[in-house]
Amino acid sequence: MDEFNDNEIAKLLRLKRYEQPPPGYFENFLHEFHRRQRDELLRQPLWRICLDRAHDFMVGLNLPAVTSHPAAVAAVLVCAAVISLKVYRTPAPGGPVAEDRPALTGQTRQVFVAPGPSADAEWTLASPVATRFFNASSLRHPTESAFTHTSAMPPRYVLDSVPVSYETTFKF
Amino acid sequence: MDKPRASEDQELVARTQAGDATAFDQLVVKYTPRLYGLVYNMTSNHEDTNDLLQDVFSKAYKAIRGFRGKSSFYTWIHSIAVNMTLNFLKKRGRRYQMSLDDVDVSIQNDKEFLEATATSSPVREADLSELQKRLNEAMMKLSDEHRAVVTMFHIQGMPHAEISKILRVSEGTVRSRLFYANRQLQSYLDEFRKNPVS
Repeated sequence: MDEFNDNEIAKLLRLKRYEQPPPGYFENFLHEFHRRQRDELLRQPLWRICLDRAHDFMVGLNLPAVTSHPAAVAAVLVCAAVISLKVYRTPAPGGPVAEDRPALTGQTRQVFVAPGPSADAEWTLASPVATRFFNASSLRHPTESAFTHTSAMPPRYVLDSVPVSYETTFKF
Repeated sequence: MDKPRASEDQELVARTQAGDATAFDQLVVKYTPRLYGLVYNMTSNHEDTNDLLQDVFSKAYKAIRGFRGKSSFYTWIHSIAVNMTLNFLKKRGRRYQMSLDDVDVSIQNDKEFLEATATSSPVREADLSELQKRLNEAMMKLSDEHRAVVTMFHIQGMPHAEISKILRVSEGTVRSRLFYANRQLQSYLDEFRKNPVS
């Protein structure tokens, strides 16, 4: 038998099973795998990591299974609608309320009143800031005091056209 | 592939999909030696094999959430390894550096090795290590696809059906490639026997 037949070739090839990597290779392989995974993770941009985590979170929720229940979806939609309506109707606490009354001095001023017990009664659908023409004569004279509080009236916060701190003192 | 091993793999895959990374570690430990043999005999280089195997498991880990179990994990991971190796070999072209000479010392006690060297055959007549070297060279002269089939069938001992699933070709194609590859190997080795110093 001077020729290699299929059987001989198969035998020779089976011997190649014994060609092995360096000693300790398989023991270190998993460690090397973890190290490469960490390196790869560190090379990724932050947005990619966030995206992957969000994706994992969504996969964890199993959204397709949840959306297969129409009742659950309807309940979520109704809850969202009720909550959004509630939020839309509730006034912001402590928010400014415009009062269209003449100021103490009789001049045209825009006055903001601190919210009190009667604030709710003054709610109106009208726009809180009325459009009006700017009256140049309503400007306070520089020598006039900005003090507006009297014992008979609740404290008021007057938005002057000229801030108090900008008043000239005329003291030389 | 036997059923207990398949069910064990299924369990490990399910645990990995649920976020248990240690389950995937067990799969890595289990399949590394076998995949090493596959990739190594296709590339003939330790360093390339190491890099490729790392990439294979990294890719498998990323893709395992999409694994639906239509095939066994065994077939799936072997498909990834073979495809990545074939792609690598196409990029590498014919520039390869063989390192297929690290025969394990335990081969001296192997039954097949003793048979091969004891019986009257061309194997005994030729120097075995030289013959192995020639065989490796002959293997590298095969096309990548033929070498993949020879590796899986002769070296890894896979049946034709399993190879056809991994390569996604028909069993007839597997048999045909195997026949052609055997003829080529036979031709190379006969040439060596007639001209041992060439």
